[in-house]
Amino acid sequence: MALKTFRRGVHPPASKFTKNVPLEDFPVPDKVYISLSQHIGAPAKPIVNVGDYVFEGQKVGEAGGFVSAPVFSSVSGTVKRIVKLPTAIGQMVDHIEIENDFKYEKSYLPKLENPTKEEILARVKDAGIVGMGGATFPTHVKLSPKDPVDTLIINGAECEPYITCDYRLFVEHAHDVVEGTKLLMKALGVEKGYIAIENNKPEAIKIMQEAANGGVEIVPLKTKYPQGAEKQIIYAVTKRVVPAGGLPAQVGCVVSNTHTAYSVAKAVYEGEPLYRRAMTVSGDGVEKAGNYWVRGGIPFSFIYDTLRGEVPECMTNKVISGGPMMGFAQADLRPVTAKGSSSLLFLSHKLFSEVEPTQCINCGRCINHCPMKLLPRDFERAVVKKDFERAEKLGVMNCIECGSCAFVCPAKRPLVQAIRLAKKEIRSKGRK
Amino acid sequence: MAKYIVSSSPHITSNTTTQKIMLDVIIALIPATIAAFLIYGLYPIFIMILSVGCAVTAEWLFNLITKRPQSVKDLSAIVTGMILALNLPPVVPFYVPMVGSFFAIIIVKMLFGGIGRNFANPALTARIFLVLCWAGVMTKFVYPIDLSNGMNLFSYFENVVNINLPVEITSATPLAGVKEAIEKMAKGEIVNPAAGLNALDMFLGRIGGSAGEVSTLAILIGALYLLIKRVIDWKIPVLYIGSVVVFTAIFFANSPYVGEYVWTYLLGGGLMFGAFFMATDYATSPKAPLAVCIYGVGLGLLTVIFRKFGSMNEGVSFAILLMNVVTPLLEKLVPCTFGAKSKWETNGKKIAEWFKKVFSKKQKSEEKEAQNG
Repeated sequence: MALKTFRRGVHPPASKFTKNVPLEDFPVPDKVYISLSQHIGAPAKPIVNVGDYVFEGQKVGEAGGFVSAPVFSSVSGTVKRIVKLPTAIGQMVDHIEIENDFKYEKSYLPKLENPTKEEILARVKDAGIVGMGGATFPTHVKLSPKDPVDTLIINGAECEPYITCDYRLFVEHAHDVVEGTKLLMKALGVEKGYIAIENNKPEAIKIMQEAANGGVEIVPLKTKYPQGAEKQIIYAVTKRVVPAGGLPAQVGCVVSNTHTAYSVAKAVYEGEPLYRRAMTVSGDGVEKAGNYWVRGGIPFSFIYDTLRGEVPECMTNKVISGGPMMGFAQADLRPVTAKGSSSLLFLSHKLFSEVEPTQCINCGRCINHCPMKLLPRDFERAVVKKDFERAEKLGVMNCIECGSCAFVCPAKRPLVQAIRLAKKEIRSKGRK
Repeated sequence: MAKYIVSSSPHITSNTTTQKIMLDVIIALIPATIAAFLIYGLYPIFIMILSVGCAVTAEWLFNLITKRPQSVKDLSAIVTGMILALNLPPVVPFYVPMVGSFFAIIIVKMLFGGIGRNFANPALTARIFLVLCWAGVMTKFVYPIDLSNGMNLFSYFENVVNINLPVEITSATPLAGVKEAIEKMAKGEIVNPAAGLNALDMFLGRIGGSAGEVSTLAILIGALYLLIKRVIDWKIPVLYIGSVVVFTAIFFANSPYVGEYVWTYLLGGGLMFGAFFMATDYATSPKAPLAVCIYGVGLGLLTVIFRKFGSMNEGVSFAILLMNVVTPLLEKLVPCTFGAKSKWETNGKKIAEWFKKVFSKKQKSEEKEAQNG
């Protein structure tokens, strides 16, 4: 039987060098900086004062609205001050500086056994759980869809190169991922739960198939980028097509991330709020590339200094938070780890592209590879002419910014970059 | 503090570049070039050197004069020069490929904005230009060299400036024979269009014709390379060749020799070379699936019409040129976005609603009339 997949897409090199490195605890610095904006939506509001003593897992910021999530201290210690720091996506946001007393005194939420649907929903909200694939959309919002849903898909595609943290979760914590999936299924009231894994991770598929129970099914998918994009994975698993501009719930689906499922299980059964996560640190700029349990609020500079080893600093020319296809290049190492930090890459010139764009040769590769069946070539032409209306008419707002077009372009045109510009212009025009 | 490069994602790109694509096309043209050498000796190679040299020089000079960034190193000028040379009759005076290359590069390619912006295939348009300028030279094809007959690889070099080829060395092309058969058919005579032709000779290329177009085998080897390297897509050539077969069968359905017409049309002219190397030109072929279908079938239909009803034996270049010009129009048939409702669906619904409305109105008025009556 042909493996399930979506149409079009690209095949970037997998580069999963850290695949076989087991997860280990990452050391914690003297001071951590808990970001108040670790999710999409309103930033959290600080609820501690300078000088307060906080425990590990204690809530330090409460949700600033419905589409928001609380944040938690990742260490026990004293609140020093609130500072503005850039986040990994470049916004200046308030961070709570906490001096680590290295006692790790925990203050968790009460454990739940056999929770009801409402209890799970409340716990997901209270534990500050967000989509941990990178988009960081608050999970409790996702669990309250407007349309009736019948399917939950756990996205374990991990289609971005380098990243292996979800793979390690499958291999090392299969039970928790399955339990988390079952909890999410219960919260949604659905019977079917699929865990979708790309077939370049046969070990993970095997382990998960052994662990799966209670309506959870493992779906092997063809290895292709962007297999983990929401609309693409829904199509691959269920053959349902999310309407353009619509939400997954409109076709009865909710997609959640592997790590989110794991964190839900931890939050419900152990009362652990979301303040640490598995993260892949990779690239040729660090000696000890691997998968780590990192607490929130650890500056990237600390991670770099800890793992760099003997590799000279000139070997790091680009730092990417997230994967190389959709991640964010960092200007400096001030940002800190947060709920969405799935990976941090330190790359030398060898490992990323620096090419001058040349003239478009009209080969149509961008059009033939676009998983959304859009026209990146025409978008870019419209943007170059500053004709954003035309770009909008051609459907630029449906772009998922996966970068497949810019990846395949032989002329190395900045296609996604142009699309982002168009989207921004159209959005700002809409607000006026 | 270390300085890091900041840019928008994606941070990695495939290693396909314009240069590599063009290099692949050059590699794919080598079998046809070797075939031309084996069949006609060194003369076509000499023509190709002239043609490629002039194409590159033309592009280099144009960029120099217009102060544009130098684009010669993308190798596309070499491709244009090679395709033009392979499109020409094996023996033409030396200035013909030179004029053709300049025309292809300057007029058709660079004046419209360079690579990717040309409205028609440069080599092909140049060939048509040359046919119009030197119809006599461009429609005379020599015999394949016959080493046993005292000819050698340097044969035909005596005609390097000769605009009128001696009659004794010119050969009829298979399509000329087909044309004769068609003309006789119009008069009511039934003639086998493939009389005197050998399918194996035609497949290998031991016939009269353009230097690079004669050997179907060599073209298929090159085409296979392009398909494997995914430089070209199979859809356009397959649709083109397939529709030529279908339309030939339809147009010659009343002839008892319909099968002969089909295979002479397939192997006899520039169809294979045009389908794989010119109809697939990036800049001048549409991208959306429906547009590609119309393009491919249109090519096949036009080719058969030109060949059967036109005054010339050959129709491939004119068919491709015409479809090239239609391409901007076909490009308006954009693919339907993933998840969006297709135009067929929405328009179909609209039409259905309109019918319903009209029908119900009619019914109502009829009812009214019935009531009134």
